[in-house]
Amino acid sequence: MAKKKFAWLSILFAVLLVVSACTPADELPDAEAATKPDGGKGGGLVLATTAAPTLFNPYYSTDTSSSTIEGFIFSGLVTVDHDFNPEGDLAESWEFSDDGLRWTFHLRDNVKWHDGEPFTADDVVFSYNIPLSEDYVGPRGLPFEIIEEINKVDDYTVEFVLSEPYAPFITITAQFEVLPKHILGDVPIADLGKHKFNTKEPVGTGPFKFKEWREGEYILLDRNDDYFLGAPKLDSITYKIVPDTNTAMAQLQVGEINLAGISPEYTEMAEDLAQKGKIELSSGPSNAFEYIGYNLRNELFQDKKVRQALTHAIDKEAIIQAILGGAGTVANGPGSPANWAFNPDMPAFDYDPEKAKQMLKEAGWEPGPDGILQKDGKKFEFVLKTTSANEIRQQIAEVAQQQWSEIGIKTSIELLEWSAYVEQTSPPNWNFDAMVAGWSIGSDPDPTWFWHTSEIENGLNYNGYSNPKVDELLSQNTQISDLEERKRVIAEADAIVAEDQPNTFIYYVEGYLAKSPNLHGPEYSSANTYYKLHEWYID
Amino acid sequence: MAIPLLFIITIISFAMMRMAPGDPTALMMDPMIKQENLAAYKESYGLNDNVVIQYGRWLGNMVQGNFGESLIRQGVPVKDLILARLPNTLLLMLVSTIIAFLISIPLGVYSATRRNSKTDYAITFISFLGIATPSFWIGLMLIMVLSVHLGWFPIGGVANIGEPFSIWDRLHHLILPAFVLATADMAGLTRYSRSSMLDVLRQDYIRTAKANGFRKRTVIFRHGLRNALIPIITIFGLMLPSFIGGSVIIESVFAWPGIGLLFMDAAFQRDYPVIMAVVVIASALVVIGNLLADILYAVFDPRIEY
Repeated sequence: MAKKKFAWLSILFAVLLVVSACTPADELPDAEAATKPDGGKGGGLVLATTAAPTLFNPYYSTDTSSSTIEGFIFSGLVTVDHDFNPEGDLAESWEFSDDGLRWTFHLRDNVKWHDGEPFTADDVVFSYNIPLSEDYVGPRGLPFEIIEEINKVDDYTVEFVLSEPYAPFITITAQFEVLPKHILGDVPIADLGKHKFNTKEPVGTGPFKFKEWREGEYILLDRNDDYFLGAPKLDSITYKIVPDTNTAMAQLQVGEINLAGISPEYTEMAEDLAQKGKIELSSGPSNAFEYIGYNLRNELFQDKKVRQALTHAIDKEAIIQAILGGAGTVANGPGSPANWAFNPDMPAFDYDPEKAKQMLKEAGWEPGPDGILQKDGKKFEFVLKTTSANEIRQQIAEVAQQQWSEIGIKTSIELLEWSAYVEQTSPPNWNFDAMVAGWSIGSDPDPTWFWHTSEIENGLNYNGYSNPKVDELLSQNTQISDLEERKRVIAEADAIVAEDQPNTFIYYVEGYLAKSPNLHGPEYSSANTYYKLHEWYID
Repeated sequence: MAIPLLFIITIISFAMMRMAPGDPTALMMDPMIKQENLAAYKESYGLNDNVVIQYGRWLGNMVQGNFGESLIRQGVPVKDLILARLPNTLLLMLVSTIIAFLISIPLGVYSATRRNSKTDYAITFISFLGIATPSFWIGLMLIMVLSVHLGWFPIGGVANIGEPFSIWDRLHHLILPAFVLATADMAGLTRYSRSSMLDVLRQDYIRTAKANGFRKRTVIFRHGLRNALIPIITIFGLMLPSFIGGSVIIESVFAWPGIGLLFMDAAFQRDYPVIMAVVVIASALVVIGNLLADILYAVFDPRIEY
């Protein structure tokens, strides 16, 4: 009797062991894969993400993991190098008319899809028409609104006609890769977002071919021997899904993964590992800035002098040293030293609590009996919101609270879970007094998104910042095709924003990339980490 | 009883889930995304409808076995996500249950038969230590020592990637998480089996058996243990919820791609259909577990008949 029970149990156990091994795709690795050495030590790149990708179709995905993998499988018309300079990819060259309205791309004629079909101008016309279609249900309509028409000139030439000159257009062609018309051409556009192509069988022209997506575990890509820039030297890419950064760091340490971006909380640990020779680190400015944003709808923050005083009270350098271990540079205004449009000479409001008090006094704020500043019987107190998803920002909030209390301003910190934080602070709620936050800047440094008055109602201008001069400059900036001229205009706008201090800009983020010592090729870049990926190798 | 209970659980979960602030579009923060597009996305999944209507629609589909589609992984049926991960969780739970029983019961019995000895005190001490120590901490410590420093075990995952299936490889990945998940209940189980055994050893029939001249081992194992196990079977049913809850934590510590981890991701991303599917399955598991305990009870205890 007891024996029989045990036998049942062992059978159940064995069945589960096998079942859980064979889901979801009941696919045995082929002989070639089986003889390959273990991911960490062979010719395979092994990456880890804490956020699982969603789907592989650039016209429908919105998350970083997905777009990273899309970059491996698909190719765009152009790509960017380590410094955001556009470089031909599927297009060998391009030119635009003097009025900036007509862009012509000359395509490579030696490109094949992963299934062997040739790539032509038809694929480009098909792809870029997806978000323009009336039936399109997806998040990417906006960047395509300026496209008036897309014409196939011949098999290897396409022409775009824009409704107005738009300098960032070239980065759109880098961001949105081309999809195969011969596979998706007959699919109704309305169904494209949920098509199995996106999750089960994506076919691209990129250096790596989709092989397998094992739910919750990893995505496996194989080398594309017919890649148009030459077969990649790496055999495969494994994109592992791990639950948290701790796991990723542990795996990096023992070589189970061989390339990883290091988030600021972990730079100290990474530097320690680098010193022991377990990893190699490279770093550089990341295309992002962190700030404390003020809700200008709130009476407290409507006076520019007050905002400047609030900034004077914050010791940014101390924050960078104490919280980030030095991994950042003091920010005086928007932008980032990582991109070409950065203005190094913006007005600065350095740490000076005495001056802060003085300026607040001039603005009518006097210490009350309890030491808290008062004006017309109203106390200077507000809530500083941030998200529990970001430890650094929590700590910044604590420092700010402390430093403001020293000049007589009372703040309370409210930590919100990410999703709740986004809902409360974004349109149409704007339910915050001040918040610790950060923005990443896109491949094109256009600051319109953050500061233009038109971005208040529905856009990223959460502060509700509005300055006619800035609006004018920003509207101009995207119409200028001359880089130097455009840089000057953006710099001027950024300087005005810095003077207005709708935010206390705290620091420009420094980014770190860690790799195994035996992996050659990767180097930190905020523009394109995987630049010239097909030349990377492992020895 | 089980069906209405499940029904009430789904109502409460659905309501709580929708009362939490935020929605699936919170993850799509990008200047290149228009609010209209997000609104259209919400509309296409019916997220703008009245919550009661949404619940009704969900319930109608669910009773037909349709859990809907993921809001985040667009176009992927929730069923596929669950099926890909459920075997992993069940395997983990089964193995850790076996480990928990295999270790605790002998310890408990040993403790009981040598009551108030030094060994008994040692086992008691360790049990209380086990009850007091959070399992995620034990997990992290084991990973740090055994995986990172000594390199004996892989850091997370269910199997080596790109290698053919091998039982050894699977066990190698399974053993740490299963052990740590087991520790949560092992301590309690040891205490239970100790006291249950002590109870039995005081019974008249044990004295009779001893008086009849049976060997001590025979008395303890044949007469004592079999009777002492009966209450422990009930505990098994009660342990299931803690296993499911514990698996969420253990799965995230050991990167074990089971439904616990799926649930956690879905909760952060507000992937409502996935959250609900996991809730239904977890509650069903608990209900089934209790049922199973009742049945086993009847099997082991000849006094009980249904």
